[in-house]
Amino acid sequence: MKSASTLSSAFLQSAGQALPEPLLALRANRASALTDLLLPTRKTENWKYSAKHLKLTDEMASSLPLSASAGAAADIQGYTVVLVNGVVRPEASNYPALEGLSIQRFSDLNGDDAELAADLLGKSISDQPAKHGSINLSLLNAARFEDGLLIQLQPGTVLDQPLFVIHHTSASHSGSAFPCILVAAGSNSQLTLVEDYVSSGESPVMVNTATEFSLGDGANITSVRLNTEGQNVQHMGTTGVRQQRNSRFASHSVGFGGTLRRHDLHVRLEGEGAECKLNGVVVTQGTQHYDNHTTIEHIAAHCNSEETYRNIAADKSHAIFNGRIHIHQDAQKSNANMSNKNLLLTNGAEIDTKPELEIYADDVKCAHGATIGQLDNESIFYLVSRGLSPRDAKVLLTMAFINELVAQIPVEQVRDTANTGLNHFFDQAFQEV
Amino acid sequence: MLSIKNLHASVEGKQILKGINLEIKAGEVHAIMGPNGSGKSTLSQVLAGNETFEVTEGEVTLNGDNLLELPTEERAREGVFLAFQYPVEIPGVSNLQFLRTAVNAMRKHQGKDDMNAAEFMKLAKEVSKQVDLDPAFLKRGVNEGFSGGEKKRNEIMQALLLQPKLAILDETDSGLDIDALKVVSDGVNALRAPDRAILMITHYQRLLDYIVPDYVHVLVDGKIIKSGGRELALELEAKGYGWLGVNDEATASH
Repeated sequence: MKSASTLSSAFLQSAGQALPEPLLALRANRASALTDLLLPTRKTENWKYSAKHLKLTDEMASSLPLSASAGAAADIQGYTVVLVNGVVRPEASNYPALEGLSIQRFSDLNGDDAELAADLLGKSISDQPAKHGSINLSLLNAARFEDGLLIQLQPGTVLDQPLFVIHHTSASHSGSAFPCILVAAGSNSQLTLVEDYVSSGESPVMVNTATEFSLGDGANITSVRLNTEGQNVQHMGTTGVRQQRNSRFASHSVGFGGTLRRHDLHVRLEGEGAECKLNGVVVTQGTQHYDNHTTIEHIAAHCNSEETYRNIAADKSHAIFNGRIHIHQDAQKSNANMSNKNLLLTNGAEIDTKPELEIYADDVKCAHGATIGQLDNESIFYLVSRGLSPRDAKVLLTMAFINELVAQIPVEQVRDTANTGLNHFFDQAFQEV
Repeated sequence: MLSIKNLHASVEGKQILKGINLEIKAGEVHAIMGPNGSGKSTLSQVLAGNETFEVTEGEVTLNGDNLLELPTEERAREGVFLAFQYPVEIPGVSNLQFLRTAVNAMRKHQGKDDMNAAEFMKLAKEVSKQVDLDPAFLKRGVNEGFSGGEKKRNEIMQALLLQPKLAILDETDSGLDIDALKVVSDGVNALRAPDRAILMITHYQRLLDYIVPDYVHVLVDGKIIKSGGRELALELEAKGYGWLGVNDEATASH
C-alpha cells in the first residue's frame, strides 16, 4: 500500500509580494506551519470519502497567471467585484462609492485596515488547527493568497443591492488560485454577498478559497455561494462566520460544476440571540464528488440555528454531508435544527451523511434528521398516467425535493442560474430511452 | 371504442386476469362488479399501462389502435384516464403545477398551444367548484393531507380537466359518505358524453343509484362470468355473489 505522502513544498511557495506587512507576515507564518504535513488519506476522518479523489500534482502547485483576461463581464443586477485567478481586477469591477461601505483589495490596505485583515484571517485559522495529523487543506489559502478583498460595513450601513464577487478561474494551464474574501460587518449593517465561482479553460486546476464573515451586534448578512466551474476544477473552500449578539446570518449554497468539491462552513454563534440559517443544494452527476462539511458552534445562550441540506446524486457520483452541531456548556436555551435529505437517482451513485451532535448544555432543543431515498415508482406512474412524460414526472418529483430551498435563494439572478443548472442536470440524468 | 379480447395478465408470476372479453362503445357507461381479489383493479391498472402487471395473452384496442403497445403517457394522451382507487400523495409538487403540466402535455399532443398560468387558474377554479373542492386545494401538494373523499374528488376534477375518451373509475365510490358520493357522481355524470366511454369498477351497487350504467358485468376470478343491464346490479345486491355460484366470503365481510 502506498504510504501517506506529504504536501509538496512546491505548494508552499507564495507568489505576489504586493501585500501589506501584516498579511505578508501571516502568510509566511502559515506556510512554515504547514511544511511537511501529511496529505489526508482515507483514514483521515474528515477526508475519509474525498482523499482518494484529491489530485495535487506539482504542475498544480504554481499560481495561475495574473495576466489572464477577465472574460466578458456578465450582465449582473447588482454591484460587482471581479477576481481572476484570485487577484482583484478593478477594471472589471463595478460598484459605486457608498457611504459606510469600503471595498479594498489587499494590496491597497494600510495601517489599521491591514491589521484588521490579518486579524480576521488569523482568527479563522486559529480555530482550525491541523487535525488528525494531516494538513487541513482549507488552510492552504492562508499560506498562498496573493490578493483578496476586505469589505467593511460601517454600523447601520445597508446595501440596497447584492454585491457579486465573481471568482473567475482561467485554466489555460495547470495551476492553482487562492481567492480570499473578508467581510467585517458593523453593528446593524446589512449585506447580501454572492460568491459566484466560474471557470474557463480545460487544464486541471485547484481553486482554494477562504471567506470570512465577522458580524457585529444586530448585523444581517446573507451569503450566497454558487459553483458552476468546469469539470477540470478541484474546488476546496472554507467559510468562517463569527456572530455577535442578535446578528443574523443566512447561507445559500448551490453547487453544480467541478470534479472534486469540498466546502467547509464553520459558524460560531458567539453573542446571545444570534441566529443562523444554512441552506445547501447539491446535485452531482458523472463521476463528480461533492463533500460538504458544516459546523455550527453554539457558544452563547439563546441562539438559534437551522440547517437544511439536500443532496441529489446521479450516475456514479458521490455526495457527502457531514453536519456537526456543537453546543457549548454555557449555551443554554439553544435551539438547533438540522435536516439532511438525500436522493439517489441511480444504483451507481453514493451518498454518505453524518450528523454529529455534541451537547454540553442541559437546557437546549436540538433536532436532527437524515434520510436517503429514491424516486417513488408509484408516484412516477401516477404522474405519467396523466400524460406527463417519464422525464417530466421525474423532474417534478426531483424538484419537489429541492423547490423550497431554491425558492429561498434571495437573489433572482442566482435562482435563474440555479434553475438553468438544474435543467441541464435533469437533461443528463433523465435522458429519454 | 374500447375492445378487450381474451386478456390475460399476471403479477409476479401469479395469473390474475384469465381471459377478459369486453366491448365498450362511445357514449356507453359500463360497470364492472365483483368480489375482492377478482381482478377489478388489475384490469384498470393494465389498461392504464402499469408495468407491474404483465400482459401474457390477448389484445386491447382503443378506436382500433393497439393500446398495449403504447407506453403509459401515450395512452393518457390518446384519452385513457384512470381515476385511482388510492391516489398517490406527492408532497412538494403543487396540485396546480401538476394539473397544468398534465393539461399542457395533452394540449401539445392535440397540436394546441400551452395554456398560460392565468388561463389555467381560471379553468381550474371553475372545475374545482364543480366537484366542490375549495380552490385553496390547488396550491397544496398533490393529494397531500387530503381526506379520502378529497382525493377522490381530485381524481374526478382531473378527469374533467383532461376530458378523456375513456374514463376508468376504480372504486371511486369507496370511502365516500353520501354527500361526497353525490358530488362525485355529479362530476361523473357531467363526464357522460356521446363521444366518451366510461368504465366504472365498483364493489357496491349504491354508486349505480347515482350513475346509472348501460351495462353491468360481473368479474369473478379473472373472468367476466355474467353481463346484463342495470337490473343485474340490483339482483346482485339482493342475492349476493353466492347467487352466481361464487364463494361470497370476501364480500360478506363488508
